[in-house]
Amino acid sequence: MTTKWNLREIVLMAILGVVFALIYLFFFTVGTGLTNILTPFGLGPFGYEVIFGIWFIVSIITAYIIRKPGAALISETIAGGVQVLLGSPAGPMLIVSAFIQGLGAEAAFAATKYRNYSRGVLVAAGVGPAISSFIWGLYHSGYIALSLPLLSSMLIVRVISGALIAGLLGKWITEKLADTGVLRSYALGKEWQAKREHKAS
Amino acid sequence: MLTSINPTMKALAVLIPALLLAFTFDPLTPFIYLVFTVAVTFLFGKVAFKRWIAMFSPFLLLAGSFAWMTMLHPSDTFSGGDVLFAIWSFQVTSDSFWAGISLGLRSLSFAALSLLFILTTDSTKFMLSLMQQCKLPPKLTFGILAGYRFLPTFRYELQVLRQAHRIRGVGRARGVKERLHQFRRYAIPLFANAIRKAERVALAMESKGFTGETDRTHYHEMTIDKRDWVFVSLFFVMFFVSVLLSYQLGFLNIFGNHF
Repeated sequence: MTTKWNLREIVLMAILGVVFALIYLFFFTVGTGLTNILTPFGLGPFGYEVIFGIWFIVSIITAYIIRKPGAALISETIAGGVQVLLGSPAGPMLIVSAFIQGLGAEAAFAATKYRNYSRGVLVAAGVGPAISSFIWGLYHSGYIALSLPLLSSMLIVRVISGALIAGLLGKWITEKLADTGVLRSYALGKEWQAKREHKAS
Repeated sequence: MLTSINPTMKALAVLIPALLLAFTFDPLTPFIYLVFTVAVTFLFGKVAFKRWIAMFSPFLLLAGSFAWMTMLHPSDTFSGGDVLFAIWSFQVTSDSFWAGISLGLRSLSFAALSLLFILTTDSTKFMLSLMQQCKLPPKLTFGILAGYRFLPTFRYELQVLRQAHRIRGVGRARGVKERLHQFRRYAIPLFANAIRKAERVALAMESKGFTGETDRTHYHEMTIDKRDWVFVSLFFVMFFVSVLLSYQLGFLNIFGNHF
């Protein structure tokens, strides 16, 4: 999958994966805190649902920058793997769940044949992993034992979180990075520069 | 002894039962597996109990929380049985009670499996083994390892940023709006630095003649021998042992179907 990539892009993807692994691990603690507040109402796991989108964000950022097949999937899987290296208590299973989340985001980009990176597609790439990870949760975490109204509200919260945090925040962060000029040698940076030159003329 | 098992095989050994355990919805199967995993951790792992329990205890809370949610909001398959007790407007039935306990125990045994891996595995060796056994491309492997080495420098960079802001008179953020602004002031330069580093690492790799070819020699050869296979099969077989045990005792429940 990475044969057409140059080394610079691969290393960028690897390092983004590492950086976001650290951020993901931090948000695990945030989620635990929220869970504690919600537990007495029997809604504990919602603590994770509201911030679930943060765990998809590296897919959107990397795919938006590099724009090649596999960017969303591989970067998310790396982030999952590096969390294991960092000693995340969720263990090697994280690689599997990260891979499934990555698939969800990758599907959105693949649907446009990796040509369209508009806001709508980026939001869809945030929603995709929300759905794929939810299906995985039905099986793996045993969500299937929960009542339908609860399940559907969990899904809705997760989809909104994915769209806002992964899709829109991911887009915003990436564009702010493009503004700094560090992305000049990648697909997004080139587009950014072309836009700027067009504006100046 | 656990530290010398090939990391990829060890990852497989904890992944396979975790995938299979998700089929069971009775309390006994995950409980047997949990006991087995904890026993292996301490018998063969040289893991300090204090460290283990410090990492395990947050999961007790999470598992309890999830079990409680399942008891209060079960699906139709798991809402049968007698009413055990009622709280607020919720009724907890025996079926939903045991489903909740089962899911709680399941996540605990997942946690115990993960800790078995995490506490006995060297992260660099895990990456090297992924490259040598799972054919992960060397370009990716060394990129990740380089990035992993950079992590401690990010803390230092954050400190420098903070001091640079303070010396220029930017105070502490108050209120939501200022906090968001502060997030941007810190996050964007940190990310930008990471990207610059990625570029520098790539250039350094190329200039040192790193081509990323897969037929390369390795300084640390990672191998798989008989012991690793025994280890994986032990974890695999133990799953069926625990299923069989709970079947014999009349507990076994797969996706809500009693056996």
